Amino acid sequence: MSAPIPHQQPIASTGNDIVDLSATDPQRTSSYRFYSRIISGEEKTLYDQLGGLPFDNYVWLLWSIKESVYKYTSRTDTALVFAPLTIPVLHLDPPSGDGFYKSMVIYGSEMLYSRSIITNRLIVTVVSNDENFDRTWWGFRPIDEAGYADQSAEVRTFALGKLHSALLRTDLRIEKSAAGYPVLLDGKGPLDIPLSLAHHGHFIAYSYRLPPDPPVPSSRSAILKLAVLFPNNSLNRKSAAN
Amino acid sequence: MDRRTILEELKKVLYPYTENKELLQNIDDHTNLVKDLKINSANLVDIIIDAEAKYNIEIDFDSAEKIITVGNCIDAIAEKIK
Repeated sequence: MSAPIPHQQPIASTGNDIVDLSATDPQRTSSYRFYSRIISGEEKTLYDQLGGLPFDNYVWLLWSIKESVYKYTSRTDTALVFAPLTIPVLHLDPPSGDGFYKSMVIYGSEMLYSRSIITNRLIVTVVSNDENFDRTWWGFRPIDEAGYADQSAEVRTFALGKLHSALLRTDLRIEKSAAGYPVLLDGKGPLDIPLSLAHHGHFIAYSYRLPPDPPVPSSRSAILKLAVLFPNNSLNRKSAAN
Repeated sequence: MDRRTILEELKKVLYPYTENKELLQNIDDHTNLVKDLKINSANLVDIIIDAEAKYNIEIDFDSAEKIITVGNCIDAIAEKIK
């Protein structure tokens, strides 16, 4: 068993979350006693203005956004505790041409943006401080077994497969930092590629963020840029299912 | 009601949300609900509401936000039923 990866201050972050709607209770979610622990009065007003979305889906959408913000932020503030009501969603747009629900959150001193996909089976979200999500890649897929060990193993295999394809290498691995967040490593140590993993019920999801200059030898940089522009699976980005 | 008694009752609240039931046998104040019991964070609100119903109490938002460990749960319950 290797020693825990020490916490390092990253220059960028990523955060994601996924909710398997079949593992939720719509009636309980819609009760004031439940949703009032997740959304504020102002966010309830936001729902009233949004329209077109079942209320329980809205509650889990905001949960998903807030959990993603927490994951994004807790990478730099490891003492942070997830408290949904302290993460205000200020603005939420319904899907337009790209199919994403988009929100804006100010948390601490940082302005963060989210993109979420809602289907009749799931809600999946990714968060970035870059409104365009230019270097953030994310994906999700269903799994057969919903046990914790299966979820944990499957999401790591899934994310590593995508990272190996995107970075054209096969020597990567994922370990947990001492603070509990996933860290991507190669044989030399942690890479400057923040990674976030999520699982719930029969779904798993990942997000990662590439640095401005990918950490590969210069002779391979042209190939890498092509790989980033044209990944093997085009669904690996921004709407990645399966 | 002493902490030991609350702990035994709390195990019943945590039971439906804990995949590996055997883990509940050895929990103590320091057991982390998410990291040690592998409870999905999406169920934390369920646990608070179930605990409220079991003890006919209302756990305030500040206390709920501090519930990370079994000890935090016991603190929040003990505070309301004393």
